[in-house]
Amino acid sequence: MSPEKLPSSKRVLVADDDPVMRHLISTIIKQQEHEVVVAEDGRAAYRILQSDSAFKAAILDMTMPFLEGLDLVRYMRSEKRLMRIPIMMITAEQDIKLMASSFSAGATAFLRKPFTPAQLQSAIRMLLGNRQLRNRQLRKIAA
Amino acid sequence: MLLERATKIESQETNPLVPGLAGVVGTAGDAVDMEVLNAFEELQEDHETDLIVELIDLYLTDAPQRLLAIREAAFANEWLLLKRAAHNLKGSSANLGIRQVAETCRKLEGTDYELSTESVEKLLQQLDHEFARASEALLTERQRRLQ
Repeated sequence: MSPEKLPSSKRVLVADDDPVMRHLISTIIKQQEHEVVVAEDGRAAYRILQSDSAFKAAILDMTMPFLEGLDLVRYMRSEKRLMRIPIMMITAEQDIKLMASSFSAGATAFLRKPFTPAQLQSAIRMLLGNRQLRNRQLRKIAA
Repeated sequence: MLLERATKIESQETNPLVPGLAGVVGTAGDAVDMEVLNAFEELQEDHETDLIVELIDLYLTDAPQRLLAIREAAFANEWLLLKRAAHNLKGSSANLGIRQVAETCRKLEGTDYELSTESVEKLLQQLDHEFARASEALLTERQRRLQ
């Protein structure tokens, strides 16, 4: 499979049932001159993704009502129109197996709470701007 | 990529005003780690509304609902639901430096419910107490910022 064109949208999907986290992440994404599409739980995120694939990246909370972040990752990686979107998982879990499952399912990056504002900013900057990270994701999907 | 941050646990004192909560944390000052909360000033942009005030408002609106979910789950003996609700509140509290609430949630998350429903009730009372202290500290900080 030849290298695919990178998603050109500047839209980022943020799915988290914690309004504090949604606001924090949205603030940073907007500061990095991207648009935010917000989902308050896993089901809302799923409904958005069913009809909208124009996302540069997705930031998903691991634990959400109705549909877990991991299930969303699996869904996104099973759909050709969504599989190229880099995904960062956010969680307060300390379970190494869960992290390993996330990467196996196709997550690109993992950020564990609690984190400092600088860590969150760096993580999002890397997710949105790192061409190497995104190319690595594409090669992983193509393999 | 995995980013980690160590958490701190403070020593506790008996609160003479609430004998039923002997052993629960005493002073108001440790309810919120202001250094953690104020670190979010890094994200503040000029001419925008105070981000920390916004975060405080969001937390104080959302957290009572999560506390209620924890209580309802405990009342219904829905231990998995209780663990999840405690886990969620733990995460959002820890990120804002609301340490004692986060720590009590961590204990709730890790309790063996089949053997110690009495200790669950004690933890729930502690959680209510810690949240009340944290709310007071957050509202004080909020008022200070808006002056």
